[in-house]
Amino acid sequence: MRPNKRWFVVLSFVAILLVLTTLWLIPIYLMVKISVSDPQDILVQNPDFFSTHFTSRHWVGVLAAGNIWPPLRKSLTVAVVTALFSLFLSVPGAYGLSRIPGSVAHVFLIGIFLTRMFPEVGVALPISVTFIRGGLFDTDMGLILAHMVRVLPISAWVLVATFKAIPQDLEEAAFVDGATKVRSLIHIVLPLAKPGIGVALIFSFLGSWDEFIYATYLCLANKTLPLMVYYYVSRGGWFLSSTYATVVTIPVVIVTYSLQRYIRSGYLRGAIKG
Amino acid sequence: MVCAENRKVSKTGISEMRKLLDLIRTDRLTLLKKKRFEISLTAPLVGYIVLLTIIPVMYAIYLSLVDPSSNTLTIRHYREIIFHFQFRQAVFNTLFITLVGLSLELCLGMIMAVILSHSFRGRGVFRAILLISLGVPTIVAAANMRYIFDTSGLLNQTLLRLGLLRVPYDWTQGGMTTLMTVIAADMWKVTPLVMLILLAGIESIPVELYESARIDGASRWKEFWKITLPLLKPSITMALIIRGIDAFRIFELPLILVGRTEPVMSTYAYFEYFEAININTSAAAGTMLLIMILVTIIGYLRIVGTQEVVY
Repeated sequence: MRPNKRWFVVLSFVAILLVLTTLWLIPIYLMVKISVSDPQDILVQNPDFFSTHFTSRHWVGVLAAGNIWPPLRKSLTVAVVTALFSLFLSVPGAYGLSRIPGSVAHVFLIGIFLTRMFPEVGVALPISVTFIRGGLFDTDMGLILAHMVRVLPISAWVLVATFKAIPQDLEEAAFVDGATKVRSLIHIVLPLAKPGIGVALIFSFLGSWDEFIYATYLCLANKTLPLMVYYYVSRGGWFLSSTYATVVTIPVVIVTYSLQRYIRSGYLRGAIKG
Repeated sequence: MVCAENRKVSKTGISEMRKLLDLIRTDRLTLLKKKRFEISLTAPLVGYIVLLTIIPVMYAIYLSLVDPSSNTLTIRHYREIIFHFQFRQAVFNTLFITLVGLSLELCLGMIMAVILSHSFRGRGVFRAILLISLGVPTIVAAANMRYIFDTSGLLNQTLLRLGLLRVPYDWTQGGMTTLMTVIAADMWKVTPLVMLILLAGIESIPVELYESARIDGASRWKEFWKITLPLLKPSITMALIIRGIDAFRIFELPLILVGRTEPVMSTYAYFEYFEAININTSAAAGTMLLIMILVTIIGYLRIVGTQEVVY
C-alpha cells in the first residue's frame, strides 16, 4: 500500500473514532450537567451546550427531601436478595448441567436461553395478575421472585461456562481418594469457580438493579429507583429526573468498568460448546 | 443417535423393537442412576423456570383466549386488537425498528469492531468510552435521549445554530422521523454489544490467513470481504439473534420518547393493561409478539442453519 493512502486510512479511522466517542459521551454529559445546572441555564429558549451557573440544589433537594431513601432501600434489598437467591438456584443447577452428558444438558441449556425470547410484557402480566391475588403485589418478595425470572438464565449460562472450564479429572481424582460428590463439589469445584460465581453474582445484581418492566407491573406505592426516574420523566421534571438517573447509573457504570474484561460473548459461546 | 435407531425400528420386526426399547430404557436408567446427584441439583433451577416463566406464558396465552364473563374460549380479543388502528401501527413500528435498527447497528458495530481490532495507542480508552452505554440502564438512556430530542434539546439547538433549521422541529410528533429517533436511541444503547461480539469474532481469526493473503497481494478491502466477513458469520448470526430478540421486545425507549404516538408491540400491551385496563387484550398483544419473535427466529435459523449458533 502506498504511504499516502495508508495515512488516509489511519486519519479516517481516527476521525470516525473521535466522532463516535463524542456521540457516546454526550448523553451522559447532558445528564450530569443538567443535574448540577441552575434552571436559568437549562429552561430557556436556546440553552447552551456548556452551563455557566452551577448549583447543588437538585442533589441536596433529592437527598434531603427524603423521597429517595425508600426507593433506594427497595432497589438495594431487591437487587441483593435477587442476586443471592438466584445463585442459590443457579450454582447447583449449572454445575449439574455441566456434568450431565451431551444432548440432555444441551436441550436444557438451549431451553433456558430460549426463555429470553418470551416478551417481558407477556410474562409480567400473568405474574402481576397472580401476585395481586396472592398478596405479593407491591412487596419486595414479589419483585424478587419476578426479577429472578430475568436474572436466572444469564446467571446459569455464565456458570455453566465456568464449570465446564474446570477439568473433570480433578473431581475424578478426588473420587478415587474416597471423596463423595458433595465433598468434591464443595472443596474442589466451588473454590475454583469463585471468579465465575462472582461475575454471575454481579450480573444478577445489575440485572435487578436497573430492571424496569417487571417493576412497573408489580409495584404501586413502593417504587424502585428506575420507577422513580420514569415517574419524574413522565411528569416533565428535568432536574429531578436527571439527578435520579445519575444516582441509578453511578453504581452500574463503576461495576461495569471494573468487570469489563469479563463482559464478553465468550461466556455465551463457551456454554454450548460441547 | 435416536434418529438412527428410529430408522432401524421401521425396518426390523417387533421383537427387535422390543430389544431396542429395553436397551434405551436401561440406558436411561443407568444415566439416571449414575447422574442422580447432578439431576437433583438441576431440578430446582429448571423447576423455577418452569413455574415462573413457562407457566406464566401459558397463562398469558390462556388469558388471551378466554372470555372473562363466561369463561369460554373465544378469539374476540384478537379480533378486537387487530381492528384497533394502534395495534396495526404497533406491528409495523416493531418490524420497522427491528429491521432498520438491526441493520444500522450491525454496520456501525462492524465499523467499530474493525477499527478497534487494530492495535494502537489509546485503544483501551476508546473501547472503554464506547462501552459506557452498555452500563447505563435503559430507562436512564431513554431519559437522557429526551435532552437531545426535546424541542429545545441538543439536536434542535445544533441544527438551529448551524442554520439548517429555522424553527425547532418536534422529533417525537410521530411518523418516520420519530421511529428513526427511537432507532438512534436504541443504537446508542446497544451498538457496543454488537461491537463486542464482532470484535471477539475478529480476534479469533488466525493471523496467518491475513499474512498469506498479503503475500498474494490482496488489498485490505479484499481481505475484509474475502476473509473477515465469511469467517465472522457465526458471530454475526449470534449478534443478530441476541439483538433481534431484544429489538422485538423494545419497551423503555419508545415508552419514554414517544409514548402513545408511535406504539410498539410491548408498549401497546402495556397501555392495554394500564390504560384500557383490559387484561385479555394485553395478553393477546403479548402473545402476538411472542409469535412474531418465534416465527422470525425459527425462519432465520431455517435459512442460515442451526450449525452457526451451536458453534
